[in-house]
Amino acid sequence: MSLYEIRNMAVDIAGNRLVEEVSLTVEAGRCTAIIGASGSGKSLTCLTPFGLTPGSASGSMLLDGVDLVGADAGQLRDARRRLTGFIFQQPLTALTPHLTVGAQLQEATMQAGSARPSRLELVQKLERVGLSRPDERLDQFPHRLSGGERQRVMIAAAIAHDPKLLIADEPTSALDASLRTEIMDLLDELRAEQGLGMLLVSHDLASVEGHADQLVVMDKGRVVETGPVGDVIANPAEDYTRKLITATPRLNEPSPKLVELGDVLLETGDVAVEFQRPGWRRGTISAVVDASIMVRQGEALALVGGSGSGKSTLGRAIAGIGPVTRGGVLWQGSALPERRARSLEMRRLIQPVFQDPVASLDPQWQVRDIVTEPLRNLRPDLTRAEREDLARRALSNVDLAEDFLTRMPTSLSGGQAQRVAIARAIIAAPQLLVLDEATSALDPLVGAEILMLLARLQAENGLSLLFITHDIAAARRLCHRIAVMDEGRIVETGAMQAVIDDPRHPATQRLVAAS
Amino acid sequence: MLKRHFPLILVLLIVMLALVLPFLLPWTYDQIDWDAVRAPAFNGSHIFGTDEIGRDRLARLAAGTQVTLMVAIAAALVSLIVGIAWGATAGWVGGRVDEAMMRIVDGLYALPFMFIVILLMVVFGRSILLVFVGIGLVEWLTMARVVRGQVMALKQRPFILAAEAAGTPSMVIMLRHILPNIAGVALAYLMLTVPQVVMVESFLSFLGLGVQEPLTSLGILVKEGADDMDMAPLGLLLPGGLLVLILVCLTIEGERLRDRFS
Amino acid sequence: MLSLITRRLMTAIPTLLVIILASFFLMRLAPGGPFDGERPLDPATQAALQQAYGLDRPLWEQAWLYISRLVQGDFGPSLVYRDFSVSELIAQGLPISLTLGGLAIMLALIIGVTAGLFAAVRAGKAADKMIMMLATVATALPTFVTGPALALCFGLWLGLLPVSGTGEGGAWLIMPVVALALPVSGAIAKLTRAGLASVLKQDHIRTARARGLSETKILFKHGLRPALVPVASYLGPAAAGLLTGAVVVETVFGLPGLGRYFVQGALNRDYPLVLGVVTLYAALIILFNLFADLVYGWLDPRMREG
Repeated sequence: MSLYEIRNMAVDIAGNRLVEEVSLTVEAGRCTAIIGASGSGKSLTCLTPFGLTPGSASGSMLLDGVDLVGADAGQLRDARRRLTGFIFQQPLTALTPHLTVGAQLQEATMQAGSARPSRLELVQKLERVGLSRPDERLDQFPHRLSGGERQRVMIAAAIAHDPKLLIADEPTSALDASLRTEIMDLLDELRAEQGLGMLLVSHDLASVEGHADQLVVMDKGRVVETGPVGDVIANPAEDYTRKLITATPRLNEPSPKLVELGDVLLETGDVAVEFQRPGWRRGTISAVVDASIMVRQGEALALVGGSGSGKSTLGRAIAGIGPVTRGGVLWQGSALPERRARSLEMRRLIQPVFQDPVASLDPQWQVRDIVTEPLRNLRPDLTRAEREDLARRALSNVDLAEDFLTRMPTSLSGGQAQRVAIARAIIAAPQLLVLDEATSALDPLVGAEILMLLARLQAENGLSLLFITHDIAAARRLCHRIAVMDEGRIVETGAMQAVIDDPRHPATQRLVAAS
Repeated sequence: MLKRHFPLILVLLIVMLALVLPFLLPWTYDQIDWDAVRAPAFNGSHIFGTDEIGRDRLARLAAGTQVTLMVAIAAALVSLIVGIAWGATAGWVGGRVDEAMMRIVDGLYALPFMFIVILLMVVFGRSILLVFVGIGLVEWLTMARVVRGQVMALKQRPFILAAEAAGTPSMVIMLRHILPNIAGVALAYLMLTVPQVVMVESFLSFLGLGVQEPLTSLGILVKEGADDMDMAPLGLLLPGGLLVLILVCLTIEGERLRDRFS
Repeated sequence: MLSLITRRLMTAIPTLLVIILASFFLMRLAPGGPFDGERPLDPATQAALQQAYGLDRPLWEQAWLYISRLVQGDFGPSLVYRDFSVSELIAQGLPISLTLGGLAIMLALIIGVTAGLFAAVRAGKAADKMIMMLATVATALPTFVTGPALALCFGLWLGLLPVSGTGEGGAWLIMPVVALALPVSGAIAKLTRAGLASVLKQDHIRTARARGLSETKILFKHGLRPALVPVASYLGPAAAGLLTGAVVVETVFGLPGLGRYFVQGALNRDYPLVLGVVTLYAALIILFNLFADLVYGWLDPRMREG
């Protein structure tokens, strides 16, 4: 008998059926992964049976012989207390801010009725999840810990009472790329050690490969396909799964065909960016230290690094929307001044696209006004009709119909909004796009489409791209060369494939391992 | 709509009555009816009776409401303008300038402000102009904080950076991107400032430091009523009740608006 | 934590100094003085009085003299209550005002937090809506309306409570304290309710729920403290509001507290008295804000480093 078995489950919230006909099993000591885009119902599927969402689940759910269907709130609470441990996506907010790590770990240990643990036991629990200086941590409040450390505390707390089933809802998506493998490996170890069953939820197919045994692919509230991970990936039966697999970038997929390169377009010479410390304290924080990169005509350069590596700050400095403390940016050999000192003609050359597509568009403006905003400033020679005309062409360039002109940003999906943002960026015919994590916030299928769109724009218009990302596999689909940033410095540059095959710097090695 | 915005409709009704009644009533607010001093309610042409020197209560209520609301709206507008200018500048410029400007706001917040206003009234005389300038200058603090917070948040939004990259001048970014996006919140807080100001004005008038005779306001009417409440409770209960009603309605609508925009 | 307190105290002293000096010069700029009665005094008496109170010296010297005396606890003589020094008047009035204010804020906290908690537990139900409606009405009840109205109702009509003066026992405190506490308790109830509503939606509550804790334990152990952060930050303004309200309440109920002296002093241009009261009020409010900061740090450890 399986440890946990869901048969034909449906989830309703306020009379709306959001998930239906879901069946899956989790075996003791094994991991079942649910993969799906946002809104596919994957989190509802794993949390609702335990009463952790506002919804109600019907069908048949059996956990270790306990029937979860028809259980009242008290019985569900009892099941959570004894049988399950949970890990959530946001380690930064998942711990109670005013209780020490020790207090929360103790609460978790005692949740199933065990005696009060000794301090030594608590220390051992933290040691087991690989937290350094565990004794000191016990007395600290969660805000003193980094995201990765907090996720380790969450894991320690989730297994402190020896549960049977561990439910991990996107446990690594909020973490830095290089930490993800470590955390997943830790979960694998603990699972094997304690014979835990694990239900893992993720939007990212690549992140569960090598960790999960069973794969459940979900889309629009239904299960698309189920099976052993290897089989499903090697031999997908359904169209959706196939699309998902091709959409997920991999380091071992065949190299893409890239455009021919021209002369050097942009160069930065030892750019440094420093910020004043907040408040009245003296001193500065260095975000970028003497960074030199180069982009050729028609080239796509990947600027890769973890969060806080300074890659976005450098990108903004290049795009003329962020400060530069020292050093300079050269455009075809001549200096581009900083920020507001750039002339309109210079501004036209470089345009940015950002990560969050919804926040990239002024919610009060029509798409028409958003897309033509650069023209109104950078091309004062155009008439209204000419601007309108260019807007139509820009929209069709990003595969959006003409009737999007009158839409408001709030009515757009993430992918559509990102297309509008790209249309705005290309309308004034720039030569370089600075793409700051432009596909990271999107669902895998949508992200892959945007990558393809960018590759097409590059090929058709000879655009150069500065592709800022944490995801080397995604960058590999688009970029000729790579520059790796760590702690504000460029630590490694080179041809894409060469760097992937032989990463020199530890930061690069971590990033490659994580992809 | 009608049921949902009942409080707002009630306030509008009160405003309309306060504006129209003086033209319909046979008595003005400062006219003394020697034949009907301390008249009870529904006494001939005095619907709510007269006060201790024979002035028509209803006429005085209408006049007092007019003055109170006028002062309140004027002062709320002063706070809106000062608050937006201060908050938007601090939020937009940022850094040390912001630090210094907000430190000033924090400092002023910590002051026993009502006492400073009272000092001002004492020192510079008790003119109605000074009443609302004084109050407006107190009430702008919250508006400045709110606006500054909104501008700081907006400034980080990519669409502002995109506008900068598109060559949009700062002034245009401020007018066309930032202000429209904070208008809703500013309106909500404007709505919440009005009852605050009504409260402060009535408080000052109650102490004899606000609006001066022969003008009248709800605060003065409450004061007059309180002094004479053992003889004529209506004199206290009518203006007091009306004041509370206006305050409650405006607060409910303002909070509703604030919750919608934040 | 300790460094936070010392830092706050370091800024408190200059703030206080600025308030004192600003009020001092503002009052001296005013046209008219304390001896401008109905009938002008003859110049000789005027000059003698001026000299006796040191009003003929240069302003800066007066200010310096004032502050150096202030440090020793001497607020100078009252110009209107000629037989008393300002220190004596303050010593007389302060206990009454502090009792009023202290009781009012405690009452407001008890009523407000309880009502807010109750409403949050019943979120969306009739009881919640009812409590929030009452809270909104309470915040809109100005002391100068509730004070006289209470006096009218419980004093004059029902004859249950004394209308004026301090009298024997504690009965005289009831109406003034209630009138003061009502609007503050309404505001605290709303803040508590809103704070809990937003905290209960946060991730760490879901973590606690996932551990199978009871709803009561989740509410009190994991939810309440962060939910009270907005209440703590309201304590400073609330204290200022109470002091202002005390002015009215003391006037309405005829209590010899600081507020009444302040109004009398302001109306009669009794500089030392007004200055003394403003200084004291400012110090009280600054002290209370410091206290609120400490509460803040207890509620949310992230603030302790601030």
